[in-house]
Amino acid sequence: MFEDILQGVPVLSLLILLPLIGAILVFAFGKSLKIVRIISLIFSGIPVALVVMIFFAFQWGGALPDGETFADPQFYESYSWIPSLGVSYTVGIDGISLPLLLITPLLTFLSILFSWDVKTRPKEYFGLILIMQVGITGVFVLLDYFVFYIFWEIVLIPMYFLIGIWGGPNKDYAAIKFFIYTHVASLVMLLAIMALYFQAGATSFDMIELGHVAPGFSTAFQVIAFGAFLFGFGVKMPMVPFHTWLPDAHVEAPTAGSVLLAGLLLKMGGYGLIRVAIPTLPQGATTLAPLMAVIGIVSILYAAVVCLAQKDLKKMVAYSSVSHMGFVMVGFATLGSVGIVAGVFQMFAHGLVTAVLFMSCGVVQHHCGTRIIQELGGISKMMPVLTALMTAGFLASLGLPGLVSFAAEFLIFYSIFVTYGLWLFLPILSVAITAGYYLWALQRSMFGPLNNKIDAPKIHDANWYESVPMGILIALIALFGILPAIILSRIGDAVDIVLRGLGVG
Amino acid sequence: MTTTAEYFAVMSPQIILLIFALICPALDLWLKMRKGIAYWTLIGLAAVGIIETLALIPETRSLVSFLFWTDPPTTEVFQISAFSQLFTIVFIFVGGLVAYASPPYIRKEKHHGEYYALLLIAVTGMSFVASAADLIVIFVGLEIASISSYALTGFQKSVKRSTEAAMKYFIVGGFSSAITLFGISLVYGAGGSSNLAQLGTLVTVGGALEPIVILGIGMLIVGLGFKIAAVPFHMWAPDVYEGAPTTITALLAAGSKKMGVAAFFKLFLVALLAVKADWDVVISIVAVLTMTVGNLVAIQQESVKRMLAYSSIAQAGYILIAIPVATDYAVAGGILHVITHAAMKSGAFFVIVALTVVGLGETMKDFTGLNKRSPFLAFSMAIFVLSLAGIPPLAGFYSKFVLFSSAVFEASGAYSWLIWLAVAGILNSALSLFYYARIIKSMYVDKGESTERLPVPMSIKIVIAIALIATIVIGIYPEPFLSASLGAAEALNNLLPIGL
Repeated sequence: MFEDILQGVPVLSLLILLPLIGAILVFAFGKSLKIVRIISLIFSGIPVALVVMIFFAFQWGGALPDGETFADPQFYESYSWIPSLGVSYTVGIDGISLPLLLITPLLTFLSILFSWDVKTRPKEYFGLILIMQVGITGVFVLLDYFVFYIFWEIVLIPMYFLIGIWGGPNKDYAAIKFFIYTHVASLVMLLAIMALYFQAGATSFDMIELGHVAPGFSTAFQVIAFGAFLFGFGVKMPMVPFHTWLPDAHVEAPTAGSVLLAGLLLKMGGYGLIRVAIPTLPQGATTLAPLMAVIGIVSILYAAVVCLAQKDLKKMVAYSSVSHMGFVMVGFATLGSVGIVAGVFQMFAHGLVTAVLFMSCGVVQHHCGTRIIQELGGISKMMPVLTALMTAGFLASLGLPGLVSFAAEFLIFYSIFVTYGLWLFLPILSVAITAGYYLWALQRSMFGPLNNKIDAPKIHDANWYESVPMGILIALIALFGILPAIILSRIGDAVDIVLRGLGVG
Repeated sequence: MTTTAEYFAVMSPQIILLIFALICPALDLWLKMRKGIAYWTLIGLAAVGIIETLALIPETRSLVSFLFWTDPPTTEVFQISAFSQLFTIVFIFVGGLVAYASPPYIRKEKHHGEYYALLLIAVTGMSFVASAADLIVIFVGLEIASISSYALTGFQKSVKRSTEAAMKYFIVGGFSSAITLFGISLVYGAGGSSNLAQLGTLVTVGGALEPIVILGIGMLIVGLGFKIAAVPFHMWAPDVYEGAPTTITALLAAGSKKMGVAAFFKLFLVALLAVKADWDVVISIVAVLTMTVGNLVAIQQESVKRMLAYSSIAQAGYILIAIPVATDYAVAGGILHVITHAAMKSGAFFVIVALTVVGLGETMKDFTGLNKRSPFLAFSMAIFVLSLAGIPPLAGFYSKFVLFSSAVFEASGAYSWLIWLAVAGILNSALSLFYYARIIKSMYVDKGESTERLPVPMSIKIVIAIALIATIVIGIYPEPFLSASLGAAEALNNLLPIGL
């Protein structure tokens, strides 16, 4: 049914254009808070409807009669843009981009709803969030390196302003640190893109075309280029030891900024690895896979241990992101079908779960005026709805069976076991640590005796615009936790192509 | 042989500019309408701009000398090609913006006629350099433009730092001209011709006179290095840029400096290409030093005008990458950067012009909270500095992309060290973001003392808007500009006799 509706509609371009139009309208006509809210809700809401349609219209599942699979990009569009350099605007999605494309408009829409009461410079606030959506959507659908890089960079500027204008006390430092770290990383990625482009004869930036040629390049070239990609994407994910910008950025960023940062921006790094680096440079990937595995496992364990020591609820959640993105890295490092599918699924899962966590921190900060665990305690009585949602989010994040992260992490553990055998004992330690820091933090901040520093009568429960987005996310977390196959099956086709390049599949 | 009519046809842009320039002072006496002279200047520039853009001459055409003592007598001295056209259009574009923005800025000064006359003469000199096919013509063009620039720099006679800047500029400029001329004479002596294309075949590796050529190359690098403010010959630039009237600073940064770049291209990529091994490493080191020192010092500046002056130094470093790489693609990147830099850097200086006109200063403090006082100025400035930092999709990104990627492309075999040019450029781009972000932060994030609206004159707003549109249009649709730059680079290459 949805195939027919979307037939001939440039739906991916619409996904990029709609928030852009929304942002322009907000900047041009956003005279009152009401108009700003309505415009941004509409222009972030329509993309949600569109991705749902795309999800149902997406074709998947096995071979066609002539041996072709559904791994080719769907909803494909291509227009020449800078012929002198061989740049074209090419978009299309496959099973790897689909899950991330799904959560992009969803999380943006929910963060806009969550930010309902932002009254300082609302025009800029909502406009910037919409521009960020333009950039992130572009990254997940573009199939041309040059334009991909442009959209990759577009994301930075709104985020810089979100932290710099609406951030906490130390916002200047955090904003510039975020900008410089991620910009340097993207420039290194750009070097790798240039090298690929020239090595292939300087005629095209097309990802698919280069993906066909590049696996034939010399191993030395592949290792260097893959190393540059790994650095570029690894800083973005972020991986230890280049993760320090993330906690700073998160602590200072407003809640919507944190949700988008952890939910979507980090995914850009992982997505880049699996969309670009691994299939295009398979020999580089094979050579550097042990390094990836080590970085991933170190990130998982180190960040988890650091979480135990955090005093700030939000900083703890930020470090937990580093830990969970480490699973993605290790999953990819196995270079096996299960590991890659699970890595992509983990990004999807983490996007949903971490949004709930950051929203919880935002609500606590909003209503109690602090996020420091020591200064909280016993507020579950005043905030039952928040406590329920937050507990559900924490449980999802620590990998409770039946919720979405469990499926992803279980598959990653399985793939580690298949590839690296009993080394599995290292990452699996994190399960215990993760459960420890989440439950301990929950116990100290929400339950237990009321902290006498808190002015109890003043505190009330989460507002509707705060609890509704969290509720929706929890429902999805449960849905995809019980039926992960809905997503997993659609990822599979595209991963087969990646594996064929690696000579495995 | 060339007919007299053809001389006039080929040199018509320069002739028209000169006629308009000579009439300017007279207009000042008769008209008594200050804006009238600015419009007169604009008409002259527009006429030449139209000739250059519309009457595009498909093939390179040259003038054979009747002025110089060339032997054989058929050597070209003056040549119009895609290269000269593109550069002349850039100079005219910048000159036009300066002329249109000037009346409110210099309204308190006297002698408006001379101001516009000197402006037009400076543009004439710049286009001379772009069209030169002979060492002597290059030097004459450099001098025409430089001498008018000295006078323009000191135009605000009552302002102490303007006079000081003019003195400094004059002394350093005269010094560098002498060194350049010395270098030219050495190259001429070693090669036996003053024609660029002929020198391309005459000056070769291993000749008995190679030591003299190397000495000449050294002189040229120093002399022209002063002109484009390459490190370590940059000391004068920040003082002069800061002291000059800001409209003229825009001309110096976006015009005069680009003239030096054109001279660099012509001398090193045509006349001295055969001895590339003698200079490529030196120029690479100068390029890396220039961008690094420019950016590092810019970080510490409190005056935005001075910061932009240092950033201008850094940008010249990026352009210099094109010379050691020396492919058409690299030169196209250099030329594209000349175009994009003309738009974004002059735009940024015009924002300072606007602030000065409404009575604010040039320091970071004056930019604080600008977003509330003039959203247009703040937005334009943000776009200009983001473009200077090379953030896509703005104009500056593409030229930097082509420049840096050209170094990656050529980096193989004995030239694998070229990759470090790209690495240095990329690291510097990241470094520059640090101070550009400071400007944006103070405009948008910090709260200013006043939120009173700024009454910016319409003409300055229009000038900024034009630069802004250029920056954004090149960003969204770079293809025509890129292919024009490639065409210009090929034209430069075609100056050389076949076989090189």
